Amino acid sequence: MAEVQLVDIEKKYGNFLAVPKQSLTIHDGEFLVLLGPSGCGKTTTMRMIAGLEDITSGDIMIKGERINDKPPKDRDIAMVFQNYGLYPHMTVRQNIEYPLKLRGMAKAARKDRVHETAKKVELDELLDRRPSELSGGQRQRVALARAIVRTPSIFLMDEPLSNLDAKLRVTMRAELKHLHHELGVTTVYVTHDQMEAMTLASRVAVMREGRIVQLDTPKKIYAEPADLFVAGFIGSPSMNLIDGAVKDGVFRADGVELPVDLADRDGVVLGIRPEELDITQDKGAAISGNLYALELTGESTLVTLRNGPSSVCARGHADFEAEINSPCHLAPKAGARIHLFDRATGERLG
Amino acid sequence: MRKTLSYLAERALLVLISIVVLFPIAWMFLTAFKQPRDAYSLSLIFEPTLQNFVTVFSAPWNLGSMVMNSVIVATVTVAIAVPCATLAAYSFSRFRVKGRKFLFFLILSTQFIPAVVIVLPFFLMFRQLDMLDTRVALIIVNLAIVTPFVIWMIKGFIDAIPTDSEEAAMIDGASRLRMIKDIVLPMAAPGIMTSSIFCFILTWNEFLFALILSRRDAVTLPVGLVSFRTERGDLWELMSAAGVMITVPIFIMALFIQKHFTRGMTAGAVK
Repeated sequence: MAEVQLVDIEKKYGNFLAVPKQSLTIHDGEFLVLLGPSGCGKTTTMRMIAGLEDITSGDIMIKGERINDKPPKDRDIAMVFQNYGLYPHMTVRQNIEYPLKLRGMAKAARKDRVHETAKKVELDELLDRRPSELSGGQRQRVALARAIVRTPSIFLMDEPLSNLDAKLRVTMRAELKHLHHELGVTTVYVTHDQMEAMTLASRVAVMREGRIVQLDTPKKIYAEPADLFVAGFIGSPSMNLIDGAVKDGVFRADGVELPVDLADRDGVVLGIRPEELDITQDKGAAISGNLYALELTGESTLVTLRNGPSSVCARGHADFEAEINSPCHLAPKAGARIHLFDRATGERLG
Repeated sequence: MRKTLSYLAERALLVLISIVVLFPIAWMFLTAFKQPRDAYSLSLIFEPTLQNFVTVFSAPWNLGSMVMNSVIVATVTVAIAVPCATLAAYSFSRFRVKGRKFLFFLILSTQFIPAVVIVLPFFLMFRQLDMLDTRVALIIVNLAIVTPFVIWMIKGFIDAIPTDSEEAAMIDGASRLRMIKDIVLPMAAPGIMTSSIFCFILTWNEFLFALILSRRDAVTLPVGLVSFRTERGDLWELMSAAGVMITVPIFIMALFIQKHFTRGMTAGAVK
C-alpha cells in the first residue's frame, strides 16, 4: 500500500508542453482514474509515475520517498498496458511467473503463487499456452495476472479494457472492481471511457490539455461539473448544453425559457442532463421544439427535439412513441440540477 | 488456348532463367567429380572420381588449413560482430539521443566506400603492426566490413518489435540488460539469426582483403582458389572441388535461413 504524490510535475517534449506544472495526491488504497480525451496527457502522467518517461521538472513521491531517479524496477509498481505487453515467446505460466522470478522467489513458491493467481482470473486451464493462442480477453487477463501476482504497492492500468468487446469489458470491469476491493492496492487507472471512470473510481481526475480540470468523486463530478468541458465530457448521453442569455431571472434561448438564479448577462450556457427532463404535453413547458429523433436503448428511449440551433435530449420511457417533426415539450423534473456556465471561459456560474 | 500458350511461355522463361542461373553451379559440382581429361567436356556422362577432393587436401594445396582459416575467421567475426551489433542496433532503435540519425548514417556510409580504396591503408597499418598474414588481421578487417551492415539489418528487426513488452519487463523488475536478454533477444532471434548467417556468408566469401593481407599462414578458401591457376594452366577440376567445399556450408546455411524467415516471434505480444 502506498500514497503517491505528484509535486509540481511537468513534462515537455522539446518545445511541446505535454503536461503543464501540476500536483496531485493519490491516497493509500485509492482507485484514482485519470479521465480525458485522447492526447490530454493522462497516459504521459501515468508513464511518469511508472518511470517510463522522465519528468522535466517536479517530484514524484511514493510512500513519502522521492523516486524521480529510480528505474521502473525499483518503484514497486505493476502495470497493465493497453496493448497487453505480453512476452510472446513465453507461455502464460512463464508470463505470470516472470516478475516473481526477477525478484528471486523460490521455484516452489512461484509455482503455487502462479497457480493461485491464474485461478483468480480464470486462466488456470490455459497456463501452458502461448499468448498467440489466446483470445483478446484471455490475453488481457494474462496481463492482469502478471500485474497482481506479486501484490505491488501501486497498480497502474493504462486503458486495460479498451481492446475488449463491449460485453467482455463490462465483465472485466466488475473483476477489476472486485480485485481492488480484495487487494486494497492503490490504483491509478487511465481511460477515456467515462463509464469506466464512473463505475471504478474512488476519485476521478478529469484532464484536458495536460491539466487536471476537476478532481473529485464520480458522484460529485457528475452532479457538479467544474466547467463546460467536464459537463460535456461526463455522462452518456452527455449533458444538454444550450447557448443563450439570462434576462430578468430567466434563461432564454430558441424554444427554451427557464427561470434561473443568475443576474442578467449574455453568453451563458445552460446545462441539464437528459435524465432530469420529463416529456410533457404542456405547451407552456420550459423547453419546446419539434421531435428530431427517437433512439430506443432498451431500458429507455432517447428523445431529441430541436428548435433553431438548440438541440435538447431527454431520456423518456421505453414505450414512448411520437411522430418525427411533431411538436414536443420538455420540463425539468422536480429537484433537477440546472448548471450555468460562461460561454467564453467555460467557467461555472451557478 | 491463349491461356495455355501464356502459361507455357511463362514456364519456358522460368526454365531458361533457371538454366542460366544454375548452369555454372551445376557445372562446378560436376567438374569437381571429373578427371582432368574430362574437365572441359560438356558431356554429362563421365567416370566420376573423388580424387580431386583427396588432392586438394594434400600438399601442395593443403585446403585443410584454408578451411580452418576460413572457419575461424568467419566464426570469430560473427561471434564478435553480432553481439556488438545487436546492442548498437538496440540503442539506435530505442534511445532518442541527439545526433542519432547522423551517427547511424555515418556507420552505414562506411559501406559506400569501395574496398579497393582502403585496402592499401589496411595493408600498411598491419605491416606496421607486424600483423600481416594473421587471422587476427583478417578478423579485424572483416569486423569493419560486416558490423555496420549487421547493425543496419538487426535494427530493422528490433524496430519491428513493439516496445510494450520491454516496458512491461522493466516494470516487472528487469534491468535494461536483463530485459534485452530475456525479452528482446528471443523476440528478435529470427532476425539476429538471419543477420548472423549473412554476416558469416559475407566473411566466408571475402576475397580482396584476404588476398592482400594473407600470404601463407592465414590464406582463406576464396584466396586459395586462385592458387589453382598455375603455370600448367587452370586446374578446373581441383578448383571446382575446392569450390564445392566453399559452397556446401553456405547452402546448408541458406536452408537454415529459409526456416527462420518463415516465422516471426512477436505474434501475441500486443493486440
